[in-house]
Amino acid sequence: MRYFKLPDLGEGLQEAEIIEWHVKPGDQVMCDQLLLSVETAKAIVDVPSPCDGVIANLFGKPGDILHIGEPLVEFEGGEDDSGTVVGEIKSRDDRGGEETFIIGGTASSGHGDIHATPAIRALAKRLQVNLQDVIASGRHGMITHDDVERAARLRESHGEAELLRGVRRTMAIAMAKAHAEVVKVTIEDDVDLHAWGKNFDVTMRLVRAIGVACGKEPGLNCWFDGATLRRRLLKQVDLGIAVDTPDGLFVPVLRNINERTAEDLRAGLDALRVAVEKRKIPPAELQGATIALSNYGMMAGRYADPVVVPPMVCIVGAGQIRDRVVAFKGQPAVHPVLPLSLSFDHRVITGGEAARFLAALMADLVSVD
Amino acid sequence: MNKAVAAPQQHTDVATPARITLVEAVNLALARALRDDPDVVVFGEDVGVNGGVFRATLGLQERFGLRRVMDTPLAENLIAGLAVGMATQGLKPVAEIQFMGFIYATLEQLISHAARMRNRTRGRLHCPLVIRAPYGGGIHAPEHHSESTEAILAHIPGLRVVVPSSPALAYGLLLSAIQDPDPVVFLEPKRIYRAVKREVIDDGQGLPLDVCFTLREGEDATLVAWGAMIPECLDAAVQLADLGVNVEVIDVATLAPLDMQTILDSVKKTGRCVVVHEAAHHGGLGAQIAATVSELGLLSLLAPVQRVSGFDTPMPLLKNEHYYLPNSGDIVAAVQKALDFA
Amino acid sequence: MHTVAEFSIGYRGYLNSQGVLGDDAPSASSAPELLVRAYGAMVLARIFDAKAIALQRTGQMGTYASCLGQEAIGAAIGLAMAEDDLFVPYYRDQATQLLRGVSMTEILQYWGGDERGSNFARQRRDLPNCVPIATQITHAAGAASAFKLRKLRQAVVVTCGDGATSRGDFYESINLAGAWQLPLVVVVNNNQWAISVRRQYQSGAATLAQKAIAAGIPGEQVDGNDFIAVHAAVSEALQRAYDGKGATLIEAICYRLSDHTTADDATRYRPAEELKQAWQQEPIKRLQTYLHQCGLWSAEREQGLQAEVQEAVAKAVAAYQQLPPAVPESLFEYVFAEWPAAYAWQRDMLRHRVARMAEPSDSLESGIEGHHSKGTSHE
Repeated sequence: MRYFKLPDLGEGLQEAEIIEWHVKPGDQVMCDQLLLSVETAKAIVDVPSPCDGVIANLFGKPGDILHIGEPLVEFEGGEDDSGTVVGEIKSRDDRGGEETFIIGGTASSGHGDIHATPAIRALAKRLQVNLQDVIASGRHGMITHDDVERAARLRESHGEAELLRGVRRTMAIAMAKAHAEVVKVTIEDDVDLHAWGKNFDVTMRLVRAIGVACGKEPGLNCWFDGATLRRRLLKQVDLGIAVDTPDGLFVPVLRNINERTAEDLRAGLDALRVAVEKRKIPPAELQGATIALSNYGMMAGRYADPVVVPPMVCIVGAGQIRDRVVAFKGQPAVHPVLPLSLSFDHRVITGGEAARFLAALMADLVSVD
Repeated sequence: MNKAVAAPQQHTDVATPARITLVEAVNLALARALRDDPDVVVFGEDVGVNGGVFRATLGLQERFGLRRVMDTPLAENLIAGLAVGMATQGLKPVAEIQFMGFIYATLEQLISHAARMRNRTRGRLHCPLVIRAPYGGGIHAPEHHSESTEAILAHIPGLRVVVPSSPALAYGLLLSAIQDPDPVVFLEPKRIYRAVKREVIDDGQGLPLDVCFTLREGEDATLVAWGAMIPECLDAAVQLADLGVNVEVIDVATLAPLDMQTILDSVKKTGRCVVVHEAAHHGGLGAQIAATVSELGLLSLLAPVQRVSGFDTPMPLLKNEHYYLPNSGDIVAAVQKALDFA
Repeated sequence: MHTVAEFSIGYRGYLNSQGVLGDDAPSASSAPELLVRAYGAMVLARIFDAKAIALQRTGQMGTYASCLGQEAIGAAIGLAMAEDDLFVPYYRDQATQLLRGVSMTEILQYWGGDERGSNFARQRRDLPNCVPIATQITHAAGAASAFKLRKLRQAVVVTCGDGATSRGDFYESINLAGAWQLPLVVVVNNNQWAISVRRQYQSGAATLAQKAIAAGIPGEQVDGNDFIAVHAAVSEALQRAYDGKGATLIEAICYRLSDHTTADDATRYRPAEELKQAWQQEPIKRLQTYLHQCGLWSAEREQGLQAEVQEAVAKAVAAYQQLPPAVPESLFEYVFAEWPAAYAWQRDMLRHRVARMAEPSDSLESGIEGHHSKGTSHE
C-alpha cells in the first residue's frame, strides 16, 4: 500500500486531532507499530501501521484536524497501487520468464489414418473388431458398417486373424518386394553322389562348391541395384544360409567362405545356428550376404524355385538326397542323387553364366578329395 | 499536487526485453503504437490522468500529451461512435471501455457501424479502430464487472475479436490490432492482468491475427481455450502429465475470424478435443468449435468434443463466484471423460 | 435578432458551513423534529459507512462505494419522500435506503457479494443499486410513466452522479420526462468526481442543472451539504409531481470525501489540500452546530445517539458475518421463474464441481477461497 488514510477509529465522529507523531520520514516501520496518537472527542487513540514499510511522508502536524479517509502517511515504493477500481487483481507465484508458443500448429498424422466415423468406431469396439484389420470398402477409403460386421463374422467362423509380427512380417514384406523386382529363372539338375561314401557333411560340401563356382563364374557373386542399373562385383564370397526356426526364416551369413578351412566354416556355421535358435544373433550377422543357399532338402523336397532377394542375384537350392535309379555305365543302378536348383536374376545374369556356374557347382560336388 | 504516479520509463530505441505483466504489456504496446504512428489516438474514461483504472494507460498522457491521450466524459455509446467517426477520417483510435459490462452501450455503434462501414461503402470508407475492454470474472468485483459475453461480438460479421492470454501475446496482438485496417475488439482477461511476468521485447513487432497459438504440444488430447482459461488449461496439463496424459494446449487468441485449421490438425493428431471457456454454455464459442470439429474432423475423433464452460446463469457475486468459473479440476475431468470414452 | 426564450438557473442554500441558517429557510424543511431526525439518519449513514469500509479492508466484504459526504442528500431525499413514492438509486444512496426500510445487513450483503442483499425484506418496491451508469434514470422514467398511466398520486425520485449526466440515458430520460410531463424527480449528486475525472472535464456546461432546460423541465442547483436546502428542493419537486406538473432536475453540489470505491486511491489524482478544504463544507458538522445553537442538541444526546448507532451497526455487522453464503444451487433458482428442464444437466455439473472442490487441492482457486469471509463454507 502506498497511502495510509485515517481509518475508522470506532469512536463515532470522523475527525481527530493529531497529538503526536511516533515516526518520521525515513523510518522503517513494522505492521502494528504505533504511527501516531490522535485525540477524538472522547479519547486519545493510538494509530498502528497497517503494514511493514518505510515512511516517505507524513501529512499534518500536531494540532491539525484530520478526517476519516484523509491521507496520514505515505509509504515508500513497494506495491504501487491496487491498480483497480473494483475487486482485486492477483499476481501468482511464478518462476517463469520466457514465453514459448508456436504460431499455428504442429502438423503430424495420427488417428486420422483410419477412416472411420465415431459410430463405426463404436460398432467396432462393441464387436471387438480391430479396425486395423478391417478392409475398407467405402468411398474415400472409409470403413463401412458392413466392413466391420463382415470382419466380425469372419472372426467368428474362421477365428482370429493374427497380425504378422517380427521375422514373419519381415519375410512377408521382403519376399513380396523381391518378387516384384526380380526376373527370376531357375535351372535344375541332379548330382550323383555315389562316389562320396559314408560320413559326409553335405552342407560343407555345398558351401565349398559354391565358393569354387563363384571363382569360375564371379558374375553370380554380386549385388545389383535395379533402380540405378548398377552391378557391384564382389571379391569376397559371403554366403547367406537359410535357417528355419519356429519363429521363422533367418539367413545368417557365413563370411569369406573361400579363404577358410572346412573345420572353421563348420564351427562358424554351428555358432551361427546356435545364436539364431537362442534369438541372440546380432543384426549384423544377418546382413551383407552376396549369394545364398537354401538347404531345404534337409527336410524334404527335390527341385525348387527359391526366391532371389535383392541385392543378391542368385540362390542355390539343395533338395533331399535320395537313392534313385540312374543310368551308370550304360546299366541301371541305384545311386544317391542330390537335386540342385539354381535361381538367378535374369536382369543381370545370362543363361550361360548361370549354366556354367551350375556346371562348376556340380563338378566340385562330385569330386572326391 | 501529490505525484502519485511514477514517471514512465524513458523508452530508448534499444529493444531490451523487460519482464512485465499482461497489463504492462498492453501499456507497452500502446506506447509503442503512439510513438510509431502519429495517427494513433487513445481515449476513454479515466485513461488520462489516472492512467486507466487498471493502469493500462499509465503515463501515456504525460508522455504523448492531451491531443493523443484523452479523458472522455462518461458515455460509452459516445466513445464507440467517436471511434467510428475518427477512424473514417484516417485516425487509428484505440478506445477503452472501462469494463466489458459497459460495452453493451456500444453495441449499436459496433454492429451497425464499425463492423459494416467498409462493406456498405464498398471499401471507400473503413474503420481501423480498436475497442479495448477488460473482461471476465474471478476478481471478486461487484455486479456487472465480470462479464464474458464475447460470443455476442464474435457473431458479428466484420468485427474481429481478439483475446490475449499472456504478456507477449498481449503486446504483439494489440500492435497488430491497432494496425489492422478493420475494427477489432480487444478483450483483456483482467483476472490475469498481473498474474505472471514474462519477457517482452519492445520491438514493435505485431503477432498475426486470425491464427491460433499452440502453447504446449501433446498427443493425447487437445485443449482449446482463450483468456484466463489458458492458465487453467496449462495447470490441468501439468496435473494430467502426472497421470501420464500429454495434452496439447491451443490458445485461440482471435475468436473471430477463427483459425480452425490449427485446431483440426491438432485433433487429427490427438483424436480428443476439450473446449474451455468461462462464458456461459449456450451459444458460447465452444459450440462453434465443437460443430466445426465434428463437421471437418469427424474421422479423427475418438470421443465427442467436450465443452467446459460457465453455467447459463449470470456470474454470481463474489460469495459464490468460484462455483461458476471453470477450473483446472474441471478440465482434467473433461479430458479423462474423453479418454475413457474410447 | 430578438430573444425567443430565456432561462435562468437558481441556487438555493440555507444552512451555511458555519451552521448559520438563513432567514429564507422554509419552515417545513427546518422544523426541529425533522432536523433531529435528519441528524440521526446522517450520523447513522456515516458510522455505518465507516464500518463498511473497515470490513472491506479486513477482507470481510468486497469492493464498496462509500457515501462519505453525501449524507445530507441521502437523508433529505429519504425524509422528503412518501412511503408509496418509488426510489431509484445509483450506488451511493445508503442514507436514503436506510430511511426507506433497507437494512444495514442487506447493504453489507450486496457489497459482500450476496445477491440476497437486493431482496429487501421491508422495502419491496424500490429498485436495487444500479451499476451501469445512468441506466437507472430510464427505469425511473418508466416507473414514473406507470404511475402517470395509472393516475396515481405518486412520484419517482432517481439519483445519479455528475458523470452520469454525460450519458445518453440521462438525456433521453429527462427529455421524455419533459415531453410526457412525468412525475419524476432527478437528483444529480454532483460530488465533483467521476472516478478520476473532474466535473470541469465532464461537461462544458456552467451548471449540470441547466441540462433541464434542453429537456423542458425546471432545473435548479442546491447546496448538497445543506440538508435543509436539499429537503426543500426535493419536497417542492415532489409536490409538483403529485400535482401533475411534471418533472424536476435538482443538481445537489457536494464533494466526494472518499475514494470512488475502496479499490480506488484518489490520492493518485486529487490533492490532499483540496480534500482538506472540502471537509470544511461537510454536511454533518454544520447541522450539528446549528442544532447545538438552537438548543435542540446536547453532548448527552450526542453520546446517546452515538451509543445507539454503534450498537445498531454492530448488530447489523454481526448478522452479516454470521450469515452463511447461499447454497451453490441458488445459482439456478432465480434466472427464470423455473430453471428450464433442458438445462437440468447443469445442476448435476455443479454438484460434481462442488464435490470436486471440496477435495483438498492446491489449484489457483484455493487462493481465492482462502480470501473469503469467515462466514464462508463449502457445502
